[in-house]
Amino acid sequence: MGSTLFKAMHPTPVSDIIVAFHRLLLCAPCVLLAGCNGIYDGLYDDFGGTDIPQYGFVESRADGSGTIYIDATGYDRWVLLDFHRKTMDTVNITAAEPDPEHWDIAIHRYDVRTRDGAAAETPVADLSAAAAMDRDRLAFTADVDSQVVVDMSTMMDGYLGYSPAHVNPVLSRWLDVNTSTMPPVYTLSRKVYIVQMEDGTLAALFFSDYVNEKAAKGYITIQYRYPL
Amino acid sequence: MNLRLIVLPLVILGLFPSVAARGQDTAHNACRQLEALVVTATRTPKLLKDVPVVTRIISHHDFESLDIGHLPELLQAELPGIEFTYAMNQQLSLNMQGFGGNGILFLVDGERLAGETLDNIDYARLNLDNVEHIEIVKGSASALYGSNAVGGVVNLVSRNAGEPWSLRLNGHYGSYRNQRYGASLGFSRKRFSSETHAQHTACDPIRMAADGDFGTLYGNHTWHIKERITVTPTDKMKLSARAGFFFRERESQATVHDRYRDFSGGLKGDYAVSGRSALTVGYTFDQYDKSNYLLTGGYDVRTYSNVQHTTRALYNHTFNPSHTVTAGGDVMRDYLMSYQFGGDGAHRQYTADAFVQWDWTPDDRVNIVSAVRYDYYSLSAASHLSPKVSAMYKLPRVTLRATYAGGFRAPTLKEMYMVFDMANIFMIYGNPDLLPEKSDNFNLSAEYSHSHYNVTAMGFYNHIRNHITTYWNTALNGMRYANMEPVGLAGVDLAASARWDNGVGMRLSYTYTRERVTAGGMQTSSTRPHAATLRLDYRRRWSAGTCTVALGGRAMSAVTCDEYTSYTDLSQTARRTYPGYMLWRFNISQEFKRGVTLTATVDNLFDYTPDYYYSNSPATPGRTYAVGLTVDIDKL
Repeated sequence: MGSTLFKAMHPTPVSDIIVAFHRLLLCAPCVLLAGCNGIYDGLYDDFGGTDIPQYGFVESRADGSGTIYIDATGYDRWVLLDFHRKTMDTVNITAAEPDPEHWDIAIHRYDVRTRDGAAAETPVADLSAAAAMDRDRLAFTADVDSQVVVDMSTMMDGYLGYSPAHVNPVLSRWLDVNTSTMPPVYTLSRKVYIVQMEDGTLAALFFSDYVNEKAAKGYITIQYRYPL
Repeated sequence: MNLRLIVLPLVILGLFPSVAARGQDTAHNACRQLEALVVTATRTPKLLKDVPVVTRIISHHDFESLDIGHLPELLQAELPGIEFTYAMNQQLSLNMQGFGGNGILFLVDGERLAGETLDNIDYARLNLDNVEHIEIVKGSASALYGSNAVGGVVNLVSRNAGEPWSLRLNGHYGSYRNQRYGASLGFSRKRFSSETHAQHTACDPIRMAADGDFGTLYGNHTWHIKERITVTPTDKMKLSARAGFFFRERESQATVHDRYRDFSGGLKGDYAVSGRSALTVGYTFDQYDKSNYLLTGGYDVRTYSNVQHTTRALYNHTFNPSHTVTAGGDVMRDYLMSYQFGGDGAHRQYTADAFVQWDWTPDDRVNIVSAVRYDYYSLSAASHLSPKVSAMYKLPRVTLRATYAGGFRAPTLKEMYMVFDMANIFMIYGNPDLLPEKSDNFNLSAEYSHSHYNVTAMGFYNHIRNHITTYWNTALNGMRYANMEPVGLAGVDLAASARWDNGVGMRLSYTYTRERVTAGGMQTSSTRPHAATLRLDYRRRWSAGTCTVALGGRAMSAVTCDEYTSYTDLSQTARRTYPGYMLWRFNISQEFKRGVTLTATVDNLFDYTPDYYYSNSPATPGRTYAVGLTVDIDKL
C-alpha cells in the first residue's frame, strides 16, 4: 500500500525524504533484527563468562612487590598464604583439616589471622611510604581468640554456624562490614598493614578490593611487598 | 502523629478564601479537564467525559508548576494509595493499592518498557521533561494491553512540536546538591517536525536522620537523550521515527557502582484509510542493560540485558457514529540475559496477541465498550483470553460507570528460569511450570460534575488467582517461584476537586484498601489501608506574570501485618506495625516575564523523620529546599 502511494508521487525533495523514510521503515527492522540479542556490546568489558583466571601470587616483581588474588567466597575454608615461597593453600574448617607446613597469614572471608605473628596498621595507603616508616613507632598486635562464621545456610532461620578461631584484630580491620543496614555497607580502610611473621621478617599489605571483575563479593585483591 | 502536622495546613486552608477573594483570573474550572482527549482506556482518542473507565489525568501544568521531575514523586503527590518504597539494595518498589510493580503496566506513548529489577521497571527512565500529560487507568486493562496490566495502566503521553520552533531550558537545584538540567528543542515546518530532549540529573548521597534498614541513600546521576522526527507526507499519512538513550549510575559500593543503560528506537506509520478508518503500524526496539562499573581497573561488566523487538498493527473503523471497532495485534521477541540465570545464561521467547474492541454509543447517555484479547507465550506455552466490558450512563451532572475486566500476567523469564545464589545463604530457583496469574476485576463509580466542582466515588474488587511468589522448597533446600493461594483486593476511592474563578483550586482524595490473604488466616499484606492526598493552590496573574502558590499534603496510615520470621518454617511469624506518616510540600512559582518562570519549593515542610527507617518508611532526611528556573527562549 505504502509503496504504491510513493511511486505515484512526483519526485521532489519531500518525496525523496518520504521514500528514504519508507526504506528506513522497511529496512530498519531487518537491521535491528540482526542485533536481536542487543546492540552496543562494545561498550562493555567482556571476561568471557569466567571469573578472575588465576588466584594466588599472580604478580611478583624483583623489588619484592606484587599482587595476590584470593577466592575467599567459601565460609568453610581458610586460604593460607606463604610469602616465603609465594604459594597459596586452603584448608576446610568444617572437615577439621590441619594447616599445611608452610604459611604466614590466612584469610577466611574478610577475617585474617597470622601464624604466631603480629600486625600493625599504618596511617598511609602507599606501600613504599609504609616500608619507609620507622617500625619502632608501630604498635604490633598479636592474634586473639575469636570465632568465624562457617555456615550461612541457617541464616534465614535466625542463626549462624560458628567455629572457634584465632583472628588478628588489626589486620581484620582492612574492611568494615556494617550489617545494620540491608544491604550491608562495605568500607575499605585503605591503610597499609605491616605484618611481622613468625621468623621476624616483615611484609607490607594493602587490601585494595573485595570484589572480582563481576562485582561478586569475597574476591580479595592484596598489593604486597615482602620482605621489607 | 504530630498535631502541628495537621493543624497548620488547616490554618493555611482557612486563610485561603480571604486570599482568594483578592485573586483574579483563571481560565480553569474543575469540569474543563473533562474535555481533554485521552487514549489509554480504549486505545482510541476520546474525551475524558466520554470514557467509560475512570481515568485520571495529570497535566504538565501540574508537575511543571510544582517543579517535580521524578514520576514516583509526582504519582505519590497526586494519587492516594500509591507508595514507592525501597526494596533490597535501595531498588524502588511500587505498591499501588495492593498491586506491586509487576501488576501495574507503565507505558510511554503506549509502548512497554524493557527491563526490571525486583519486579519493577526503572522508574528513572520516565523523564517528565517532554511529557504532555499522564493518564492513569485503575483496574485491569489486559483486554487491551495484555500481561502485567492487572491492576492498572500508567501512560505517559509525549508532547508534540506545534510551534515553528521552540527552545526550553530548565534547571533545578536543591538540598544535597539535587540537580536537574534539561533542554528541549522543537521544530515544526509544514509536513516535518522534530523534538529533541536532553536531561541530566545528579544527587549526592543522603544520610538519613536515624538508624534503619537503610542508612544512606546512594548518590546517583542520570542522562537522558531523546529524538523524535515526524513527517506528514500527505494529509492522510503520518510517519514518525524516534530514538532514545538513557544512562544511570548509582554509587552503591566503595569500589563498585551500578550502571543502567537503555537504548530504544521505533518507527511508526499512521494512515487514515478513509474518514472512518485509520491504520497504525509500528516497530519498536528497547534494550535495557545493567552493568557493574569497577572503580579499580575501570571495568564495566554487563550482568543483565533485556532486549525486546515488537511489531504492532492497530486498525479503527467507525461504522456509523454509534459503532467503532478497534482491532490490533503485536508480535514480540523477548531476550533476557541475566546474572540470575547462573553463569550469565540467557533465554528468549516470542509472544503474540490479537485483540478486538467494540465501542457502542446507542444514544448520548449510554456508552458500552467491550473487548477481548488473546495472548500467547512461546516458552511457557501459556495462552490467555482476557475479556472486558465497560458501561457508562450519563444523568444530568452525574455519570455512572461500571466495568468487569479479566486480568492476566504471564510468568516472566526470570520467574521461570532463575538459578541464583543469594550471597551463599540460599538459592532461588525459577519454575518453568508456573501458571499465569489471572484476575477478575469489578469496578463501579459515580462522578458528579458541575460548574467548579467535581466529585468521584469508586469501589473496586479484584480476585487474583495463581499469584506468583517465592516460597521455601524443602526438596531443593532453597526458595522457588510458585503459584499461591487466591488473593482478594477491595477498596474505595473518593475524590473531590474544585477550581474557582478567583484562582483557588483544591483536590482532596482518599482511598481505602483491604487485602484478603487466605494463607493460614494471616494478614501478610503491608499495604497501608488508609491514604489521602490534598492539594490547595492559588493562581493569580500579576502585571509581571502568573504566580502559583501550592500546598500539597500526603497522609499514609499505619499498617499491621504478619511477617515470616523463618523462610524455612512458614509457621513462624511475628506481628509488626509500621507507623503512619504525613508529608507536606509547599511550592511557589512566579512567571517574571513571558517565558521565564522561577519556582521555590520546601519539601517535607514540617521536617518529619521516622524514628527508624523501615524499608517502607518515606526515604526523607527531613525538610529540603529547592529552586527551579525555566526559560522558554522562543517566548522571550
